[in-house]
Amino acid sequence: MIAVSKFGRAASMGGVAAILIGLASLAPAEKVTAAAARPPEIALAPPGFRRLNEAQYIRSVEQIFGPAIKVPGRFDPPLREQGLLAIGDATVTVSATGIEQYELRAREIATQAMAGGNVNVPCAPAATDPFDAACARQVLGRYGRLLYRRPLADAELSAVVAIAGEAARVNNSFAKGLETGLSRLLMSPNFIFRVERSVADQLAPGGYRLEDYALASRISFLLWDSPPDEALLDAAARGDLRVPTKLERQVDRMLASSRYEQGVRSFFFDMLGYEQFRGLAKDQAIYPKFNSELARDAQEQTLRTIIDLLVTNRGDYRDLFSTRKTFVNRGLGALYKVPVSAAGVDGWAPYTFPADQPRGGILSLAGFLMLDPTHEGRSSPTIRGKTVRELLLCQPVPQPPPNVNFALVQDVTNPLYKTARQRLTAHQENPACAGCHALTDPIGLSLENYDAVGNFRTHENEAEIDATGTFEGKPYTGLTGLSQRLRESPDVPACLVQRAYEYGVGRPAAGGDADWLDYAIGQFASDRFRFSALMRRVATSPALASAAPPGPVTAALSYDYKRRIR
Amino acid sequence: MSHWTRRNLLRGMMRGSAVVVGLPFLDLFLDGNGEALASGAPIPTRFGTWFWGCGVNTARWFPSQLGKGYDIKPELVPITPYRDKVSIFSNFNCNLDGRPNLVHWSGVMATMTGAAPLKGGVSGGTSELPTIDCLVSDHIGGGTRFRSLELACTGQSGVSYSMRAGSTVNPSEVDPVQLYRRLFGTDFQDPNKAEFKPDPSVMLRQSVLSSVKDDRDELLRSLGSADKQRVDQYFTSVRQVEQQLGQLLEKPAPAEACVVAREPGKAELGPTWDVAMRTHDLLGQLAVMALACNQTRVVNMALSIAGSNLRKAGDPVAFHELTHEEPVDEKLGYQPKATFFIERSMETFASMLKMMDGVKEGAGTLLDNSLILATSESNFAKIHSVDNLPIMVAGSAGSRWKSGQHISGNGDPSSRVGLTIQQVLGMPVTSWGDGAMRSSKPISEVMA
Repeated sequence: MIAVSKFGRAASMGGVAAILIGLASLAPAEKVTAAAARPPEIALAPPGFRRLNEAQYIRSVEQIFGPAIKVPGRFDPPLREQGLLAIGDATVTVSATGIEQYELRAREIATQAMAGGNVNVPCAPAATDPFDAACARQVLGRYGRLLYRRPLADAELSAVVAIAGEAARVNNSFAKGLETGLSRLLMSPNFIFRVERSVADQLAPGGYRLEDYALASRISFLLWDSPPDEALLDAAARGDLRVPTKLERQVDRMLASSRYEQGVRSFFFDMLGYEQFRGLAKDQAIYPKFNSELARDAQEQTLRTIIDLLVTNRGDYRDLFSTRKTFVNRGLGALYKVPVSAAGVDGWAPYTFPADQPRGGILSLAGFLMLDPTHEGRSSPTIRGKTVRELLLCQPVPQPPPNVNFALVQDVTNPLYKTARQRLTAHQENPACAGCHALTDPIGLSLENYDAVGNFRTHENEAEIDATGTFEGKPYTGLTGLSQRLRESPDVPACLVQRAYEYGVGRPAAGGDADWLDYAIGQFASDRFRFSALMRRVATSPALASAAPPGPVTAALSYDYKRRIR
Repeated sequence: MSHWTRRNLLRGMMRGSAVVVGLPFLDLFLDGNGEALASGAPIPTRFGTWFWGCGVNTARWFPSQLGKGYDIKPELVPITPYRDKVSIFSNFNCNLDGRPNLVHWSGVMATMTGAAPLKGGVSGGTSELPTIDCLVSDHIGGGTRFRSLELACTGQSGVSYSMRAGSTVNPSEVDPVQLYRRLFGTDFQDPNKAEFKPDPSVMLRQSVLSSVKDDRDELLRSLGSADKQRVDQYFTSVRQVEQQLGQLLEKPAPAEACVVAREPGKAELGPTWDVAMRTHDLLGQLAVMALACNQTRVVNMALSIAGSNLRKAGDPVAFHELTHEEPVDEKLGYQPKATFFIERSMETFASMLKMMDGVKEGAGTLLDNSLILATSESNFAKIHSVDNLPIMVAGSAGSRWKSGQHISGNGDPSSRVGLTIQQVLGMPVTSWGDGAMRSSKPISEVMA
């Protein structure tokens, strides 16, 4: 049997007619034809267990203990799974060396928090006893709730207070006791991981839903990429998140908050693969303009462009592929060979590429063009094409087969093969390679007018670059042509919806999610592709709030998601 | 020897009596046989892995003659001085038996875990079983501050072939300065110092970790089955660190060869060849020091990721791309640019051997008291072949391993090497691995 949720509440919220008849008994094929008339369904998944990533950990500490706290030590490397780090976070654990680092970090954060007066202690211990258990309970309970993103159970809090008491007596210091209690909280998997729980749903007998605090965390990390604030935790405590109007009020408050911009940045950081900027290197002898500062600026430029279009101007997501409006600073001005206004000499200045410049859309910016850590000395059309397919279109490209004969593959010094196109054409003549390279190379080759750091060029090794390409059967020329094709492609907004959903729930979209995703894709178009409307829809959706009881994976999760409407 | 428990000492502190214990300086000299310390403790055996990416050229690497005194082919020339201490294994395979050949992943995981993996590729993947260094460190690493050390030479901490099943790697230390501080910073206790005073704050840290373990049961109740395994791994890691801290509360046994050098200077990190080589040697020196000072028994060194990004400065193409794109030179019979990196990799391995062999311990050297498993993920990287994987084992585990032989596996799974290592190290393992890689046949020729 396929486990699906039937959302009575979806009807009022999504404005979709609710026809709740024995859906679970329908075969998948019948459901396809019935989909338009019913409220959307998703596959029910067991509650998640997601490791905070480095930025989320740091942001949590800053939000709770103040921005002055230094977070030391090395974090376990992130893992990208099925297109997102947010999905990888739900598959990793912590190595012993990772725990060693968390232990060191917990102590240093707790010490700084106490020493810097960042911990609110509303009581003082009695002079006769270095440890006031009731006061410690109050303080650790408050910070425990913020760190665990839910209130602590009595027994949990007692255990933390006990360790604080041990430390206070050994050191004859109440403050030292609280410090140790805080480091105990910081070492808990309840802080280091986002632990989700499912509970019985009173509104749907026999059904389950995500527990209120877990939902608060999902919403908060989706919109802010940081833990819930006290107001959201209070709302969860009151059961407000189960009341659509009150849930919407919370979500609207969060969308209006200054933290929302960080949330949008984090989402696109993940979707665009920006963890690859860390340690990105290009050969200095070949690309003298490249340095780590330029790489950082390239990342920042695209994120600024995204925020400006999607958040500040509430623009159409598809315009990211065509907009000439961006921001430049001194380093990028030199790369693009454009003048930089006074504001851009010391910082960032708004800039609009003139129509005669070969720049427009985020693909033409260095943040996309240089982001290939596997090639330090040249551009790779294959990697660029793969990036467009996988990250922007949600179309996974298969791994190369293991037994390929590479005898035909390019040799950059061969005088017959001067350009990447000539080299890759030889590559494509091999039938074992051709299948996948047909997916990637035509896209990548049309971007060859831009070298591995983003310089514009018309020639490679003295041969003129042919930047023609085809996308889904339609011919075009160059990056501008490709960007136009992508702007028109229904797969582009559909992929964004899929990623936003996966990012929120922390797992890959599955076959059983098709109803809700197809519905949300349709709604995104109705919302004229406004990104914040999409985020609001995901945040307030019953899909985000649903969960199966802990247990084995359901059938609805076990097959791949395929978009049905186009 | 006194045994300090956390509770006892904390009780002592609570009564207000500061506990300062000066233990007698133990005899640093070995007994007459040179195989044990005068205190009766045997010289410890160490284990290591040493990984290089993108394989070898079969005809230029594997010896023709079997047994002792094997012939040295051009790519193995750098190990000539250590031939009697290095065993070469040929014709040991990664038997896929229907599982996919995940490029630059299957071969290394098969040898390291005894199981062909189900997911992965050039950027990494999952392992079905724990890698051998985890199993060995569970067996011999418990008494030291660090269960194991993971090191990588190209500046990327995700480059590591040490995993406890699943998708989480044991991340590598990549910066010699950071490694130095972790090993020899404030928590370091010089094993040869007479004075010893257990630090009560360490006990408190242990108490905190011990208390964290109370969170386990509630977590296991609320999560799905796949996540329960991750929770368990988390608490296994917590227990390990708790035990590490426990080591700081014991008077360390003296270590004859322990000499702590000064902190290395800050230096550039990255995959260009010269930089990675220098990083290797700095990390290697620190690792050798850590072994000699009993800070760990297990070291894992990865020269680079399997799809190697090592590159000559100014050259647009890296080692991995060269293996696929560079034509085989008809006259030479191999790819000269890619082969540069194979030859340099073997020089780097020899450099590790030199460092280990330079530390005198008892009648032999640190290398003699170790087993170092060196391997790559491919035989010939150009075609991703995983038959006849290049495998070496250096050292003799304190005379328990008959070193210096070339042995053919006749197509047997490469897990036989790992099985043999475990048995020689005294682990109660009769068979090891999974599926077609499972083996219960140790290599008797090397067992003393």
